[in-house]
Amino acid sequence: MQARLFGPGLPAAGQACEWQTDSGRIQWAGGETRLPSTGGALRSAGFDLAGLELSWADDAGRWALQVLAAADATTLRATPPAGWEEAFAQLAGTTRRHRKGRALGWSALALFLAAPLLLLAGFFAFSDGIAGWIAQRVPQAQEEALGEASFRAMQASLKLRDEGEAARAVREIGSRLTQGSAYRYRFHVVEDKAINAFAMPGGIVVVHSGLINATRTPEELAGVLAHEVQHIELRHSLKGLIKQAGLSAVWALATGDVGGALAGEAAQRMMSLSFSRDAEREADNAGFEALLRAGIDPAGMPAFFDTLAKQAGSAPELLSTHPASEARRDALAGRLSSVTNRRFEPLPYRPWPPAP
Amino acid sequence: MAMDVVDYEIFGNEMQYVEVELDPGEAAIGEAGAMMLMEDGIQMDTIFGDGSAQQGGLFGKLLGAGKRLLTGESLFTTIFHNEGRNKSRVAFAAPYPGKIVPVDLTTVGGTLICQKDSFLCAARGVSLGIAFNRKLGTGLFGGEGFIMQKLEGDGMAFVHAGGTLAVRDLAPGEVLRVDTGCVVAFQPSVDFDIQYVGKLKSALFSGEGLFFATLRGPGRVWLQSLPLSRLANRIVMAAPAAGGQSRGEGSLLGGLLDGDNE
Repeated sequence: MQARLFGPGLPAAGQACEWQTDSGRIQWAGGETRLPSTGGALRSAGFDLAGLELSWADDAGRWALQVLAAADATTLRATPPAGWEEAFAQLAGTTRRHRKGRALGWSALALFLAAPLLLLAGFFAFSDGIAGWIAQRVPQAQEEALGEASFRAMQASLKLRDEGEAARAVREIGSRLTQGSAYRYRFHVVEDKAINAFAMPGGIVVVHSGLINATRTPEELAGVLAHEVQHIELRHSLKGLIKQAGLSAVWALATGDVGGALAGEAAQRMMSLSFSRDAEREADNAGFEALLRAGIDPAGMPAFFDTLAKQAGSAPELLSTHPASEARRDALAGRLSSVTNRRFEPLPYRPWPPAP
Repeated sequence: MAMDVVDYEIFGNEMQYVEVELDPGEAAIGEAGAMMLMEDGIQMDTIFGDGSAQQGGLFGKLLGAGKRLLTGESLFTTIFHNEGRNKSRVAFAAPYPGKIVPVDLTTVGGTLICQKDSFLCAARGVSLGIAFNRKLGTGLFGGEGFIMQKLEGDGMAFVHAGGTLAVRDLAPGEVLRVDTGCVVAFQPSVDFDIQYVGKLKSALFSGEGLFFATLRGPGRVWLQSLPLSRLANRIVMAAPAAGGQSRGEGSLLGGLLDGDNE
C-alpha cells in the first residue's frame, strides 16, 4: 500500500514509499527498510484524523510511517500488521472514548447556545404568572405614584370637563361602585369624540364625552365604569407594564439586541394583546359582580356592548385590543339570565345623556 | 489528472509578486483580485468552482463552490489561459507585506493544508478544497477556525505569508508551539491541535491569547511572523481617527507641525 515514510536520512517532507503490509517491507526509490515486528507507537494522523501513523525508534533515530488515505487506514485497522495488534486495539479504545467525549462536548455547547432561547420560551409560557406575582408585591403607594405620574404626563393633551351634569353622574356612579375599596378613586371626564374610557394604576379613571353620548341609559355608563374600575382593582395595567418591561429585558438578554428588534416588538405587542383579551374578560365578569353588589342593574353592560357592536366600524379605538363586542355581549347576557333577583332601582340621572 | 507544469519567478523583497510563465495551452488559477499583470496572449476567464478536473457536472461544481463559500472565499475562480503561440507571463501580487511561498505539491505528498486566505495562485489542475479538523478544541479556539483550505494535486501552488516566512522541518514526534494566527501551511502528516496556555496569569496578561497551536511532526510547516490581523490591529490603533498619535516620527511638537495632521 502507498505510504509516506519520515526518518533519518529521508527528505524532511517525507518520502513516498510502497509498504508490503504482510511482510513489513517498506521500499522506495533508493532504499528500503522494514517495519519492526516488536510494535511501536500508533496514532490517528492527517488533518481530518482519518489516517494512521506508525512510529518507532532504532539506533539511527525516530521513524514514522503514515497512511493518510482513509480507505487504506480502514484496511489496516481491520488487519493490523504483525506485532502491532495491541497498539491498534488500544487506539480503537481511545477513539471510542474520544467520540463519546466529543458528543458530550457538542451537547454541552448546544445546550449553552439554546439556554437563552429556553429562557425566553419559559418566560413566554409563565409570563402571566410571573408578572402577577411581581404586581402583588408592588406597594399601593408606588402604584398610585405611577398612575399620578402617567396622568400628569397625559394631562396636557386632555381637555378635562370635570364640571357639569355628566361629570357629576360619573363621579357618583363611580363612588357607588368603589365603596369599600383600598384605592382612592378619581373620575375625570374628557372632551373627546372617540368612544373610549381608560383606567390608570392607582385609581384614576378617565371617560371620554363621546362614550357618555353613546350610552342610552345611565346603567350603560355604570357598566363601563364598573369594567374600568375592575382593571384597577385587578392591577391589570401594572401587570401589563411589568410584563412589557420584563419581556424587553429578557429579549435583550437572549439576543443581545438592546434596542429591541422588530421580532421582539412584534412578540411584545402580541403578548400585550392576548394579555388584555384575558384581562378584559376578567374585568367584565368582576365588573358585573360589582354592579350587582352596588345594586345597579347589570343589564346596562350587555346593552352597551350591543350598542358598540352595532357601530363597530366607527369605534375602532376601544375595540382594537378588546375581544369582539358581540362575544362579550353574549357572555354577559348569559350571566344576566342566571341572575334571579332582577329588581333594581333605576339610576336617577334622566334624561340621559345629560348635556356636558 | 492533467497538471500544467509552470515556471515561475518571484520579484520583490517584502512586497512580492510572482510571475508565472505559461506555455501555449497552459493555464493557471488565481485567487480573485490577485492578478497584477498579464502579457499578450493570456486570456482571463472566470469559472464557477476551482477549475480542477475532478468535479464533473453541475452538482460537482455547486459542491466546489459551496466549499469555497465555507472557507470564506469567493465563489468564482479566475483562470488564465495562454491562447497565444508563444510563452507568456501572468503575474499575481501578494495582498500585504510578506513572502510568497512556492510549494511543489509533489514534494509534500500531493496535499497541503493552509490557512483560509493564504492561497494566491496555482497551476491549473490543483484543486482547492476544505479540510475539517475533527478535534473540538481546534474548531472552537483555533484562530483560523477548524476549517482550513486543502490544496490537492501535483503541480505548483503559491501561498502568501505575512511578514517573514519561517519554514520548519519537524522530525517524527517533534513538537512546535505556535501562535494560532502564525500558521500558514503544513503537510497533512503534521498533527495540528490547539492547546490552552495553561496558566491563568499568562492567559490574561501575557498578551499571547488563551491558546497555542501545537504542531507535531513529522513533516514540514510554514509559519508567518506577521498575521494580517495583527498588522491591521496596530494600524487601526495608530490611526488618528481612532485616537492614535503620530509619536516617534521625529516631530518636535508632537505632530503640531505635521501638515498631515490638520
